[in-house]
Amino acid sequence: MSYTIKTDSLSKRFGDIQSVDNITIDVEQSEVYGFLGSNGAGKSTTMKMLTTLLRPTSGSARVAGYDIATQQSSVREHIGFVQQESAIDEYLTGRENLILQARLSRLEPAVAERRIDELMETTGLADRQHDATVTYSGGMKKRLDIASGLLHRPTILFLDEPTVGLDIQTRHRIWEHIHTMHKEYDMTVFISTHYMEEADMLCDRICIIDQGKVKAVGRPSQMKENLEQEVINMRSDNAVLLSDNISSIDGVQDIRRTNDTLQIHVSDGPQTIPIIFQKAQSLNIQIQSVSMTGPTLDDVYISYTGHQIREQGPEPRRKRRW
Amino acid sequence: MRKFATDTYAIFWREMMRYRKSKSGVLIRLIQPAVWIVVIGHTFSGTKPLIQAAGFDGEYIEFMAPGVIVLTAIFTSIFGGVNTLWDRRYGFMNKALVSPIFRSSLALGKMLAIAIVATLQASLIIAISLIIGVSFIDYAMIIPIMAIVTLFSLGFSGVSVIVAATAKSQEAFWGIINFLGMPLFMISPALFPLELMPDWLSSLAQINPATYTILLIREMMTGVESGIPVSLSLGVLGVFVGAIILVAGWTFTRDVSRPF
Repeated sequence: MSYTIKTDSLSKRFGDIQSVDNITIDVEQSEVYGFLGSNGAGKSTTMKMLTTLLRPTSGSARVAGYDIATQQSSVREHIGFVQQESAIDEYLTGRENLILQARLSRLEPAVAERRIDELMETTGLADRQHDATVTYSGGMKKRLDIASGLLHRPTILFLDEPTVGLDIQTRHRIWEHIHTMHKEYDMTVFISTHYMEEADMLCDRICIIDQGKVKAVGRPSQMKENLEQEVINMRSDNAVLLSDNISSIDGVQDIRRTNDTLQIHVSDGPQTIPIIFQKAQSLNIQIQSVSMTGPTLDDVYISYTGHQIREQGPEPRRKRRW
Repeated sequence: MRKFATDTYAIFWREMMRYRKSKSGVLIRLIQPAVWIVVIGHTFSGTKPLIQAAGFDGEYIEFMAPGVIVLTAIFTSIFGGVNTLWDRRYGFMNKALVSPIFRSSLALGKMLAIAIVATLQASLIIAISLIIGVSFIDYAMIIPIMAIVTLFSLGFSGVSVIVAATAKSQEAFWGIINFLGMPLFMISPALFPLELMPDWLSSLAQINPATYTILLIREMMTGVESGIPVSLSLGVLGVFVGAIILVAGWTFTRDVSRPF
């Protein structure tokens, strides 16, 4: 198996804060690899090290076969990086932005022209390419950003939180777009995200990262299966009382309540449901509806990190120089 | 070497595209030096005997016109690096840093664009001074004067870009730039001959690259010898600009991607 990214105990320290702590991962060629974690988990810092924007404090990594510390320019020739915030020049038109990117990537002008035409078509921006990008919507800007990342046909495309700040509809369109681009150009895609759904929809494999450490790596479907968990959704007329009385039942792992509905995480659903019904009957609780689902990636995340994705402050900054 | 040139041109092109789209700024930035030359030029016209005593035979406004040309160049170029701050905040810097271009190209491309804009501004000031009656001994001198203004601006755009690339905050940038800008102009023979300054001030002025530029341009405009050989002035300017280019190039190879 050939790896396009391989890290060995990669670490980054900012003062007293260990932002990235001994991360060792392998990303296979042509796969979509998701880096899943909350804000401040160390995703961006790791990505900055892999894209040569930051030097690691210790450990090493090879990207596209080149060492990120000693062969930076070779690494840069082989990667595309789409940042979380749009990096397009709003004063320039869509096309001018891609011309700029082509120059930054040292593409031959003729090759650049051809690829820009092609990308304008695939991104659906062809008819707006001569408008200043300040008039573009959030989704259009993102597609243009992704197009700039693809212009020089990188071996690896890094996408840092590609759908942050976009509405649900646009988010779905960007996912489709990433999916199409991946099929079309067959590069490795490394995505960082804190959206479970995004990781689940897009990624072949995900890596759960929390407080700078790798907690788990695997295929989303496999990880869900490995949980050996089923979720019973139960609506009743006294959810609080029911919740208090079923937590001791064998196989019940976790109970979460939203209004009158309980989400009961159990190891064996079909066996547990009758027991819950009995309990409810003895307490005179009316059960109004019941359904059973598999676990979500959310559940996988919680089981590995012990908490839900939470919002945290920004990553620590470096010491003031002035 | 060819790659270095095309990389630098890529950045230069981008900066010029941005200037092209913000033309209104050109006129706004012209107001201040225009006020200087018109108001101060006439307010101080009574100092003619003083200026003559220091060896300058002409009107005060002819004495100070080169000073205002350099003033325009100083301020346009030293403030010119401010978009590097935006680049650091809004992602262009990171985008350029993960691309294979030379990092020193990033600095030089920006500096060249700022220097060209500063020269354009200065040429508008030359036009204004011609309109209000300043005369040149030889109008063909305008071309080499512009070349000197470009070279000079290249140096100070470098100072600006270096500060913008390393400043920890916007406030730090403006603080440092304002701290540098005014003294550069005041501690020079822009408004007043060095000969009439107290010794300590005129010694300070002698380490200011603006001093040599002003003396050079004044000599080219009026034909009155400044007392400092042209070769020395050009040498000082050349060394200054060369050193700044090296420092700016080096600054950008360091960690300039930090947010602030």
